[in-house]
Amino acid sequence: MSGFFPRRSTMLATAVAAAGFGAIGFASIGLGAVVVGETRRIDLGAKAAPGIDAVKAQYKRPATIPFPKENPYTPEKAALGKKLYFDTRLSVSMAQSCASCHSPGLGWGDGLAVGVGHGMAKLGRHSPTIVNAAWGAIFMWDGRLATLEEQALGPIQAAGEMNMPLEQLMERLVSIGEYKPLFNAAFPDEGMSIKTLAKAIATYERTVVSERAPFDAWIEGNEKAISEEAKRGFAVFNGKALCSACHEGWNFTNDGFQDIGLPSKDVGRGEFVPGVVKMQHAFKTPGLREIARRSPFMHDGSLATLEAVVEHYDRGGVDRPSRSDLMKPLGLTAQEKSDLVAFMKTLTSNLSPTAVPVLPR
Amino acid sequence: MHKTVLFALVILSGLSAGALAANQVIHQQGRVFSSESVTIKKGEALTFVNDDSIPHNLMSATKGSEFNLGSQAPGMSTDVTFKETGDVQVICAIHPRMKMMVKVTD
Ligand SMILES: [Cu+2]
Repeated sequence: MSGFFPRRSTMLATAVAAAGFGAIGFASIGLGAVVVGETRRIDLGAKAAPGIDAVKAQYKRPATIPFPKENPYTPEKAALGKKLYFDTRLSVSMAQSCASCHSPGLGWGDGLAVGVGHGMAKLGRHSPTIVNAAWGAIFMWDGRLATLEEQALGPIQAAGEMNMPLEQLMERLVSIGEYKPLFNAAFPDEGMSIKTLAKAIATYERTVVSERAPFDAWIEGNEKAISEEAKRGFAVFNGKALCSACHEGWNFTNDGFQDIGLPSKDVGRGEFVPGVVKMQHAFKTPGLREIARRSPFMHDGSLATLEAVVEHYDRGGVDRPSRSDLMKPLGLTAQEKSDLVAFMKTLTSNLSPTAVPVLPR
Repeated sequence: MHKTVLFALVILSGLSAGALAANQVIHQQGRVFSSESVTIKKGEALTFVNDDSIPHNLMSATKGSEFNLGSQAPGMSTDVTFKETGDVQVICAIHPRMKMMVKVTD
């Protein structure tokens, strides 16, 4: 994604030009290869709100994990990726692994407000969970990386994080004799390289999937699987509180970028699309699986509890041009707020323990 | 005087014919473009309709064809005219899965 994005035509400019002239207005703006005409309201007709069964059907768990054509699953790859994921020798200090910040013990995050990198220095943003990364459309809070393979290499090289130049890392891995046969088994044609390192880690990460939670049993028809409070909370989530406009589908995200009005200076996605107002202070919508294990919350870790998160949305956040049009004071009752929290707690599965692998020497 | 009025009328009818000669419409319901790829003639417009329940922000970062509709609310429709041949990728800045190609031909 190019960092430079000139804003050639704005809705305001075209609306002014079009005012009073109907269709002629837009013809009068003749600069550039693309000309944006006036925006008008059209009648979409009244759409009936979907019934509860139709809404529930949108949350059904997928049966299989999607792996990309370019990097299909093999057990050898996933096993190698797991060793690399837990290997602290991937950092220059030999003290940090991927798992340091994305730990199975803490909902595959780190339980901190913001991550801690090289030399124990604080990072700018909250360490996101890797749970259900296989379904991600774009990666990092600001969406700067397109694939999980690219993502895997990001923190390893980042000076503030694991601070390990990739060439140096490959030299180090070559010197650890037991890695080479593992790479050769996982990548018979490609062997050991930066590319295969990334593919192995990404393959392992894709196997980290939130397991069945009480919510899933309810979606599949067991009415007793969750409480009445949680069922009411699900209705508020999909209705009055508008949560599902962004936290949609079984993993509770459409990977969209929204400024939700947190009072932080961080422009997030805006760094990559400076000309787009709505992308300033916008961050990628996180999924909500295992959310009760993932505090503190938000891209900056600024909210300690789910109750505080619901309060933030109820108030609507900082009103500024970039704020999502979906953010506004909601007027939730105390009951609706506690129902929402009860609902979110049904997304916690009994994640089975993750065995730390024995690492090559 | 008479000549000017006639001239204006010709332009007007030409333009309104263009506007009425139904542009291809791109829908956005369910956070997806109704077409992954469309082909139009140079100088023609596409009508981008937000018939979804949430705002979208259509734009292009294709060099030379950059545009940005800003936040387009549900129930709004915007015409975009493509004046030069080539492929223009249209995306939604908000939703990374929304991508389509506009092929502009002679
Ligand atoms: Cu969109």
